Amino acid sequence: MVKKIINFLDENIERYIILVSYSAMAWIIFSEVINRFVFSQQSAWSTTIPIYLFLWVTWMGSSYNTKHRSHLRFNELRERLSYGKQYACLVLDAVLWYVFGVIVIYYSIEQIMISYDNFAIVAGTDNVMQWWFYMATPVAWTLLLLRVTQNLIVDTKMFKAKEPLIITTTLLQD
Amino acid sequence: MDGYLIGLVSLLVTGFFVLGVPIFLVIGLWVVGISVIIDFTLANLGVTLFEGLNFFGLLALPLFILTGDLISAAGIAKRLVDFAYAALGWIRGGLAMSALGACGLFAAISGSNSATTATIGGIMHPAMVENGYDGKFAAATVAAGGTVGIIIPPSIIFIVYGFIMQLPIGELFVAGIIPGFLMVVAMQLVCHFLSKKNNWGRVVKFSIKNVAKTAVLAWLGFLAIAIVIWGIYSGAFSPTEAAGVTTGFCLLAGVLITREIKLKALPDILMRSGQITGMLAPLIAISIVMQQVLSQLGAKQFITDMVTSLGGYYPVLFACMLIVLLAGTILESLPNTIILAPILAPIAASVGVDPIHFAVIFLVGDAIGFITPPYGLNLYVASGMTGIPYLKLLAYSMPYLISLLIVWVIVALMPQLSLFLLGGVGL
Repeated sequence: MVKKIINFLDENIERYIILVSYSAMAWIIFSEVINRFVFSQQSAWSTTIPIYLFLWVTWMGSSYNTKHRSHLRFNELRERLSYGKQYACLVLDAVLWYVFGVIVIYYSIEQIMISYDNFAIVAGTDNVMQWWFYMATPVAWTLLLLRVTQNLIVDTKMFKAKEPLIITTTLLQD
Repeated sequence: MDGYLIGLVSLLVTGFFVLGVPIFLVIGLWVVGISVIIDFTLANLGVTLFEGLNFFGLLALPLFILTGDLISAAGIAKRLVDFAYAALGWIRGGLAMSALGACGLFAAISGSNSATTATIGGIMHPAMVENGYDGKFAAATVAAGGTVGIIIPPSIIFIVYGFIMQLPIGELFVAGIIPGFLMVVAMQLVCHFLSKKNNWGRVVKFSIKNVAKTAVLAWLGFLAIAIVIWGIYSGAFSPTEAAGVTTGFCLLAGVLITREIKLKALPDILMRSGQITGMLAPLIAISIVMQQVLSQLGAKQFITDMVTSLGGYYPVLFACMLIVLLAGTILESLPNTIILAPILAPIAASVGVDPIHFAVIFLVGDAIGFITPPYGLNLYVASGMTGIPYLKLLAYSMPYLISLLIVWVIVALMPQLSLFLLGGVGL
C-alpha cells in the first residue's frame, strides 16, 4: 500500500501540483475580469494569489523538465561525443544540479524563515501566510534533485548494460 | 586577481554550455561563482528566484502559452492555416507563404515563438512536403516564420521587456504590429522567389468562394485576435487580463463550438503549457539574478563607455544592434533581453532614440536570434519536429535570415514604423 502511494506520487506529483496551480491561476484571472465587467467588483487578492500560484507552476515545472530532461540546452557537441564521454557529461549535469540546487534550497529556506518570523501575509488577504507560497522554491528544488538522482541511476544502469544513453530529448513532447 | 578569477569562471561555464549542460544551470553556476568572487551575497539568489517573478504583468506569460496550446487543440490553428492557404495558394510558393501567414495569425493570438513554430510546423510541414516542397526548405520556413511569434502582439518577450524596463506593455504591443507584419511579408517574398526558382509546390486556382468559406470557418480565430487587439488597444484590459480572457475564450470555443477539445484531454494540454512555463520562467528568474551580478561587476559602465564613445545617433544605435545580434547567437531570447536591455536601452535613450522604438528594434533583433547559429532555438524545434539535421536546416534558413536582417535595419531607420500606430491610441 505504502509502496503504491509512493509510486503514484513519483509518477504524478509535479503533474498534479502544476494542474491545480495552473488552472486555479487561469480561472482566478478569467473570472475576475468577468466579475469586474459584469458586477463592477474585484477581489483584492486576485492580483496577488495568482502570482504565487504561477511560482508553484514555475518551479514544479522546472522539476518536471528535469525529470523529462527537457530543459533548454545546446546539444550539438554532446550528440557527437563518444559513449563514455556522453556518460561523463550526464554525470557532470548531475553534479552541477546538486551544487546549484543545494545553494538554492539553503538560501530560499533562509528567506522563508524571515517571512515566517515576520508573520508576513499575502497582500489583499487576512490570514493567508506568505511563507506557504515561498515554500515553492525549496520544495520543488528538493524534488528536482530527487529527479536528478533518479535519472543518474537510470543512466548508470544503462551505461553498465552498454545500452544507448538518453542524450537527445524532444523539446516539445506530444 | 578578481578579474582573472572572473574570466576563469566565465570560461568554465562557457565550457559547460558547449558540453550541453542546461542553459538555466549554466547561468546559475556563473551567478554563484561570480557572487563568491566579488563577495556579493548569495542570499540575493534566494530572494530573486522568487521575488524576481513576483509581478502581475508576468502572468500573461503562462496564460498566453496556454492560449497557444488551446487554439491548436481546438482546431482553430488548423482553420487559420486553411484560410491562409485559400488566400495565397494561387501564387507560386503559396503553401509555404501561407505557412508564414499562418504563423503571423497564430502569433496574433498566442505570444510564444517556439509554440508558433511547433504548432504551424506540425500542421504545415507534412502538407508542404506532400505538395512538392523540399522538406528542408519547408522546415526552415516554419522555423523562420516562428520569429514573428514574439513580435506580433501579444508577445511574451514584450511583456518581459516592459516588466524589466518599466514601459507600458500595451504600447509596446501596438508598436510591434507593423514591424511584425513587415517581417511576414519579407519572408513571403523570399519564399515566393525561391519556390519559383526551384519549381517547388503546386499552384491552385484562386477562388474567392473558397477564401470566403475558409474565412467563415476561421471566425473563432479572428474573434480571438479581435478580443486581444481591442482589449489592449482600448485599454479595457491589462495584457494579463487580455491573456486570461483569451484563454477562457479559446477553451470555451474548443469545448463548445469546434468541440475538438475533449475535457479528458485538458490535463494534457495544461501539462504541455506547464512544461514550457517551467522551461522559460526559471530562465527569466535566473537571468534577473545574472543582471544584478553583472551590474555589481560594473559591466554596465564598461559597455556604456565603450558604445557612447562612438558618438552620434546612428553609430550608437548600430553598435547596440550589433551587440543584440551577437549575444542572440548564443543566448536564449529571454536572458538576452533581461541582461542586455537594462544596459543598452539607457545608452540608446541618451542619443535620443525613442524608448518604445528602441524596444522594437531590440526585440526584432532578439527574434532574429531564434534562427542564428550556433544557438537558434527555432531551428532546434523545427529540427526536433521533422527529424532534419540542425546544420542542414541552417543552410536553408539563410535567405530568411537575410530578409529579416534587412527588415530589421529598415525598422531601425524608420521610427514611424513602430510609433505610427501609437499616435491614435489613448493608452
